[in-house]
Amino acid sequence: MIIFRNNIPVLLLSILFLFSCRKDNDTPDTPVTNRLTILFEQSVDTVPLQPDTLIYINAAGNNYKVTDLQYFISDITFYPKSGEEQTIKSHDGIHYIDLRLPDTFVWTPADIIPEGEYDSVSFIFGISEEKNISNRFPNPPERDMAWPDILGGGYHYMKLNMMWRNEPSANPMPFMFHLGIGQTYSGTTHDPDSITGYVQNYFKVKLPVTMVIPAGTPQKIILSMDLNKWFGPVEIFDFADYPMMIMQDQAAMESGCRNGKHAFSVRVK
Amino acid sequence: MMTEFSNQQSERCSGAMVQWCGGAVVQWCRGAMVRWCGGAVVQWCRGAMVRWCGGAVVQWCRGAVALIFLLMFISSCTKQKSTGPDFNPTPYDLKIPKFFPTKLNIPPDNPMTVEGIALGRYLFYDGRISGRDDPDSLMSCSTCHLQSHSFECGIDHPEYTGGHPFGVTGILTPHFMLPMINLVWTNHGFLWNGSVFEENPDEDKRNLEDIAWMAVVAPHEMYSDTNRSKAMIRNTKGYPELFKAAFGSETVTMKNMGRAIAQFVRTLVSADSRFDRYLRGEIQLNPDELNGYVLFMTEQGADCFHCHGGDGNPLFTSNLFFNNGKDSVFSDPRDRFSVTSHTMDIGAYKAPTLRNLAFTAPYMHDGRFRTLDEVLDFYNSKLVWSPSISPLMHHIATHGIRLTAWELADLKAFLLTLSDSSFISNPDFSRPSKLPGE
Repeated sequence: MIIFRNNIPVLLLSILFLFSCRKDNDTPDTPVTNRLTILFEQSVDTVPLQPDTLIYINAAGNNYKVTDLQYFISDITFYPKSGEEQTIKSHDGIHYIDLRLPDTFVWTPADIIPEGEYDSVSFIFGISEEKNISNRFPNPPERDMAWPDILGGGYHYMKLNMMWRNEPSANPMPFMFHLGIGQTYSGTTHDPDSITGYVQNYFKVKLPVTMVIPAGTPQKIILSMDLNKWFGPVEIFDFADYPMMIMQDQAAMESGCRNGKHAFSVRVK
Repeated sequence: MMTEFSNQQSERCSGAMVQWCGGAVVQWCRGAMVRWCGGAVVQWCRGAMVRWCGGAVVQWCRGAVALIFLLMFISSCTKQKSTGPDFNPTPYDLKIPKFFPTKLNIPPDNPMTVEGIALGRYLFYDGRISGRDDPDSLMSCSTCHLQSHSFECGIDHPEYTGGHPFGVTGILTPHFMLPMINLVWTNHGFLWNGSVFEENPDEDKRNLEDIAWMAVVAPHEMYSDTNRSKAMIRNTKGYPELFKAAFGSETVTMKNMGRAIAQFVRTLVSADSRFDRYLRGEIQLNPDELNGYVLFMTEQGADCFHCHGGDGNPLFTSNLFFNNGKDSVFSDPRDRFSVTSHTMDIGAYKAPTLRNLAFTAPYMHDGRFRTLDEVLDFYNSKLVWSPSISPLMHHIATHGIRLTAWELADLKAFLLTLSDSSFISNPDFSRPSKLPGE
């Protein structure tokens, strides 16, 4: 007891010392309750994507490699078996994923998801019309997704840059599979002067998933995108049919998006 | 490095609390408090303070321990910035132009201050920073970085033929120059290959602060040594006082020289071109310029924007790196590949800002194009394929964008709207009328 009493000042001062050096702007660590971490995966035919490797073949038979992949997923919503659906609100519900920035593969929004059983999840591929506003992202990397105002403005939903060829002896050539707001033109050319209107190409995907969120326990789900499914088999998308780019070709973007609705899967980790 | 911290500093990082205080480093790490002081390690472990010194362990009494903790508690809460009575620098309020990024590259340990910028401006223009005082061998940042050329040297430089600078001993720089503007928004690495970047394992090559002293010692630039440069500045009347005003100490250090120059360089904001005024709704561009803008911003036009920005990115650079189809064979040991080892970075270089390009000839990392017309001609019809060409050069199948002469003229007209003549004549960026000691 005497020993204990002698140690009290030391103990108190030790505690003071330990807690005294936190910076003003640090927030104390709070226990993680009902927080959800979303992991983003990119694959080709269920195998994790290998960038810069000319090994992939799509439904049209194009041999390709992926050099850059950047895309937005937004408005992720969880549907409980009973009760109200829960939409992620953090960062206005928009998340950016970049193949060159592994940090973007993991997103733990600040939203607290109520405990319970959930049976499905939905999300927007790209950004919805009301949120896809030019200059909303002043800083990189999201800034570099800007979609030209003359072509509809806002941001690319996805930039998928590839090199491809049909013949093994041919030099691989670029293909820029860029999706965003489309345009309608008055003539047969894609001259910006003849733009008559714009088309919102973002789409919603809803997938079944059995997910239980117990009270006070973090949960992880994996949202996976299979790149090859953007090019078939629902609708064959042959790179040879387009001039290496599609931003000003609404038919090409529509075709890609019809496939893209089948490119995603979700599972609980 | 530690010797340059004249003031109390404390920070918490990666779960460890490290404090530099009056010549001692105190570190809290993994449940143990360790203090390094004068060659001895003092460790608090399991309720006892022990001192390791020359192979002997000495145990201190608990009363002494309590006193030490009290002192530590008092000293550990000191804020990063010194608040000494004679050191009270004035914070500099950098105005962010409309539409420009809000995220600034200003390191926490080098906040911009009026005094720091003033010192940096003197040093930027003072040839004595090269450690010499012979008029024939003086060299400063401003020897090559001329305000009239958007802080490049310019193709018409009287000494650097064709705009290729060389150092005091005549060694050519490995690359031509990049415009030194709007660097407060650079976030993907400096120089043509991005070899100076925040996460660099080499902690001496991470930011603008480091580039300043790299220039002092580089054989192809000032080719000085740090002691000579420090001595020359230290012995120049007026500088010690300027260092004290900027950093709280008259001691001239390379670190503080780099900090001051970096602060000045971060003020070099160019955001008042005709295009900026058009964006702000103050003027209208003419039809040729507007048509050029549309060509610039469209994939089936010239498609410049994917690399250089434009809508949503008024810096007119993405600060990213591309092989833009200049060559099919590569031998430069300082391309982007030399930094990343990614095969797609072979022959890749930073997409430079297009702002003020009327003042920044010659063009490309090797200065191969002397005029803007030559650049446009290259992108129009002279692209060459290589295995690492960027997919963004999607016009490669036709060797270029294949615009008509009329369209090229419009594109050029638009590019010239990016010239900011008020920037190149801004007196805040020019040589001070007098340098210290003059």
